[in-house]
Amino acid sequence: MLVTGIKSKPVYAPLEADGGGRFHVMLGRGVGREPLLRVIAGIAAAKPDALARTRVLYLPDSAQPDGAAAPFTAARVGAVEIFPGAERLLGRFREVLDGALMGTRLYVAGPESFIGLAMKIALEFNLNKDEIRAEECGTRARRVYCVHCRATTEDVRTNIAPCVGCARWLLVRDHYSRRLAAYMGVMVDAEAPGERPPVVELFP
Amino acid sequence: MTDREILAVKVVAVERVTPLIKHFTLAAVDGGSLPAFSGGSHIVVVMHAAERVHRNPYSLLSAPQNLETYQIGVRRMEESRGGSHYLHDTVEVGSRLEIAHPVNLFPLDKIARKHVLIAGGIGITPFLAQLEDLRETGVPYELHYSVRSPEHAAFERRLAAMAGARLHLYHDSAGEVIPFEPLLGRQPLGTHVYVCGPAGLIRRVTETARGLGWSDSHIHWEQFSAPPVGDAFDVFLARSKITVHVPPDQSLLESIEAAGIDAPYLCRGGVCGFCHTRVLELDGELLHNDHFLSDADKAKGRSIMPCVSRARCSSLVLDL
Repeated sequence: MLVTGIKSKPVYAPLEADGGGRFHVMLGRGVGREPLLRVIAGIAAAKPDALARTRVLYLPDSAQPDGAAAPFTAARVGAVEIFPGAERLLGRFREVLDGALMGTRLYVAGPESFIGLAMKIALEFNLNKDEIRAEECGTRARRVYCVHCRATTEDVRTNIAPCVGCARWLLVRDHYSRRLAAYMGVMVDAEAPGERPPVVELFP
Repeated sequence: MTDREILAVKVVAVERVTPLIKHFTLAAVDGGSLPAFSGGSHIVVVMHAAERVHRNPYSLLSAPQNLETYQIGVRRMEESRGGSHYLHDTVEVGSRLEIAHPVNLFPLDKIARKHVLIAGGIGITPFLAQLEDLRETGVPYELHYSVRSPEHAAFERRLAAMAGARLHLYHDSAGEVIPFEPLLGRQPLGTHVYVCGPAGLIRRVTETARGLGWSDSHIHWEQFSAPPVGDAFDVFLARSKITVHVPPDQSLLESIEAAGIDAPYLCRGGVCGFCHTRVLELDGELLHNDHFLSDADKAKGRSIMPCVSRARCSSLVLDL
């Protein structure tokens, strides 16, 4: 039932340090901390002076005993900021990009929904593919955009799901919009009202 | 290129703007509108000289909003193979020429947040039309223009009128140099840099930008190479089954065209890759002069850009 093979589905790769960059901006959520620490270690090994020009914005999923900033501070990056929610982090990210100079590289690690929202902002600043690296980790839950009422339903883990806006049952497609940072959802029983496939968890 | 893509034009104005540069204004012979284009486009001018046909690329420097006429700026090259001398010495108001439709290999990025334009000498021409486009979009820009001496600053008044304080002029004769590092080091995220001019300037800008962490997708340059002269050689065209002689002062592409073969081309300056041709056999070496093939592909010797590249060989077979 899920329509696959759609080219707009984003492809991610493990994060690596980009030695060509002069400034490094890193965004992480939850388990995205590990890939970021790996990149920071890469920068420390290849170009230690670039650590001072590295800024981390991090959103922990749960309380950490030593504080969420501790592992980044220990890795001696120039600036670490911890946020209590995605909205606050993304607001700060926008400010950081607004003051950033050419030569900046962006690294994002976390669930795809988090990456997508960060990419949407990066796109507004005309950051191109060769300036951004993203690694998907954590939940694969999707943001789903209803093509009927234009509401976005967060945290969708199943093949079909009711729309938060209009309550239509939506089929979650692989068709992804970078501008909306969401997958397209289309009414699943439009032609035969009430005939729906069983609900299956696809995006744990 | 086929004949239907060629337009007949007449010269309606000629202006000497510096000791070495002339402007030619062209209009359609039939009096109609010329094809639309965007800033950064060039045309290929076809000149039927007495002894041979010249086809040279020139950037359009007139406003894209005006399709009554096109304007090109032609620098009289010291080591001309004839095209720029023909235009400077023979062509006058009323002369007929042929041109190919405009092609843009040097467009402005449409979603850039800022543009930094860097020109050396005659390399200013594509930017003149782009400034007209920029006037409409309102995207911020800076123009840095380096010339030999004040009398060589073609277009200075027109540029000052269009760009105002965004124009920065540098005179080589006064020892003024574009401050590459500080300039490229202070640009906001989402800036694109464009450079057109001598090879040394292009190298300086691209290397400085990369050194400051600019990614390649934000660096743009255009340099039309004139086909260099070289030793004569013969080439066999496998599909046409004919042998073509390439004399020292004629390019491979020109020789193929002179033999009546309709070979593909767009820029005629080693930039676009449109004339990419497979090398089937070679006994000798290829002399690559293009900016299109990677160094690795040039070393492989399996393909050639006939518009600017040659060979030093006893035999060469091309897939044409």
